[in-house]
Amino acid sequence: MRFKDYLKDKVYAIILTFLSIGIIYLIFKAYRIETGIIFSGIIIFLICNVIIMLIDYFRKKRFYNEFLTNIEELDKAYLVLETLEYPEFYEGKLLYQSLYEINKSYFENVNKINNSRKAFKEYVEMWIHDVKIPLASLTLTINNHQNEINPKIKSQIKRLEDYVDQVLYYVRSENAEKDYLIKKIDLGSIIKNIGIKNMDDLLENHIEFVVEKINIDVLSDAKWLEFILGQIINNAIKYKRNIKNSYIKITAKEDKTKVVLTIEDNGIGIKDTDIKQVFDKSFTGENGRTRSKSTGMGLYIAKNMCEKLGHKITLESIVNKYTRVSITFAKNDFYETLK
Amino acid sequence: MQKILIIEDDELISHELKNLLDNNNYEGVILGDFKNPLKEIKDIKPDLILLDINIPYMNGEMLLKNLRETSNTPVIMVTSRNSDIDEALSITYGADDYITKPYNPNILLLRIGAVLKRLNNGTDALVFKDLTINISKGIIKKENIEIILTKNEMIIFNYLVNHQNKIVTRDELMTALWNNEEFINDNALTVNVSRLRAKLKEIGLVDAIDTRKGIGYILS
Repeated sequence: MRFKDYLKDKVYAIILTFLSIGIIYLIFKAYRIETGIIFSGIIIFLICNVIIMLIDYFRKKRFYNEFLTNIEELDKAYLVLETLEYPEFYEGKLLYQSLYEINKSYFENVNKINNSRKAFKEYVEMWIHDVKIPLASLTLTINNHQNEINPKIKSQIKRLEDYVDQVLYYVRSENAEKDYLIKKIDLGSIIKNIGIKNMDDLLENHIEFVVEKINIDVLSDAKWLEFILGQIINNAIKYKRNIKNSYIKITAKEDKTKVVLTIEDNGIGIKDTDIKQVFDKSFTGENGRTRSKSTGMGLYIAKNMCEKLGHKITLESIVNKYTRVSITFAKNDFYETLK
Repeated sequence: MQKILIIEDDELISHELKNLLDNNNYEGVILGDFKNPLKEIKDIKPDLILLDINIPYMNGEMLLKNLRETSNTPVIMVTSRNSDIDEALSITYGADDYITKPYNPNILLLRIGAVLKRLNNGTDALVFKDLTINISKGIIKKENIEIILTKNEMIIFNYLVNHQNKIVTRDELMTALWNNEEFINDNALTVNVSRLRAKLKEIGLVDAIDTRKGIGYILS
């Protein structure tokens, strides 16, 4: 709040004051009152007016300036009311009270939405839990009757499982609540689990699964990391080239501050123009459109989860040569000392 | 035969689980009374329990906690809830392993085998005919003749010996190999089996491994 702007706002009051001074002067002059008396009267009137204006200005200035700077400095501007003192002037009181009411209804609304979001998340989790029971019994039944059942059913069930898991982790990663547990886990055992999970697909597509020495401990959530890496491996299988020596190669490098896990395939690769967007929500790109149906959610969820876990995920690729996805795990000195 | 108790309220799953276990040299028993599970567990005296977390009347984790007050029977938790937090809780309550639904049946069997073996402290050593088998060194001995197996050959031989006189599918062998972080392909499996066969021939075991076309192998 600047004085100049304040004066501009009060321009009619100022004009009126001077106008009334002129009129008073003329009237007093008409009654032949001594000029000295008229001027002293006018001066007292002017001083009173200036004082009234200054008092008004400074009261408002204190409140509004605090109000404006706090709004600017707070990262959650809607909390500004909590930082203000109750103003002494009428307009300020009105503003304060209205803001209070607006805030209240806003928070009630946000709460309502949060509650329904939470209920929805719980429902989805429960639904996934339920849907996995028939999936489990199907898997067992197929295994017990291998000779009578078309093996294609097995791969379709795996696809179903993958889609169901994608929903589960989408809901978990989008939610504010912490659903993960960071602890020391062995990359080797995670890769082993993913390998076995995708064994049938890898063998059927004649993709060599090459795992170099990766028995390194990292700090992460085992289930989340398994899902993230599963998405990357799924893509590598989906977008393989029709060549003889297809492979997926998994390597890890460790230095003082970090561990970098790299998954490389020699599949169809990704166009330069598409690379920047592969982690965007619902982005399918040329590969997703031409090769197979793609939801464009896998890598988006993976990236989202990596961010929550504090890992960095990057992707580089050359069309018809390779796609390389790297995940960087930072080492935590604090955790090491705590042990 | 080792007795495995299935505590699971989905009838189809418990039925198929029993089938799976019965087909793999275990005796599967299904828990019937969810109201007094502890009493029934005492009567059945299982060697291992497969325990689902979502069961009627009592949560599986609570049942495990109560069971642990009186018994050390190994327990593998089975659940469709998939989170590290649930897993950590189960392990704290004294579960020996934790596996999420839907599971790979071959992996479930491997996990059961591993838990039972850990508890027997490896006392049930690999026995096949009159051979002396040293798994960790990869050596098979018969009288004075010694043959050395590679890691992959040993994994295959180990699996076949544990399932003697029963057809072992290629899928099962593959899972056992991948579970040991040997991510080999179909051709390599065929090659490994024929090499193993040739080596067994050296110690006089001709045609010990028989191929059942389209299904798998049988050791007898």
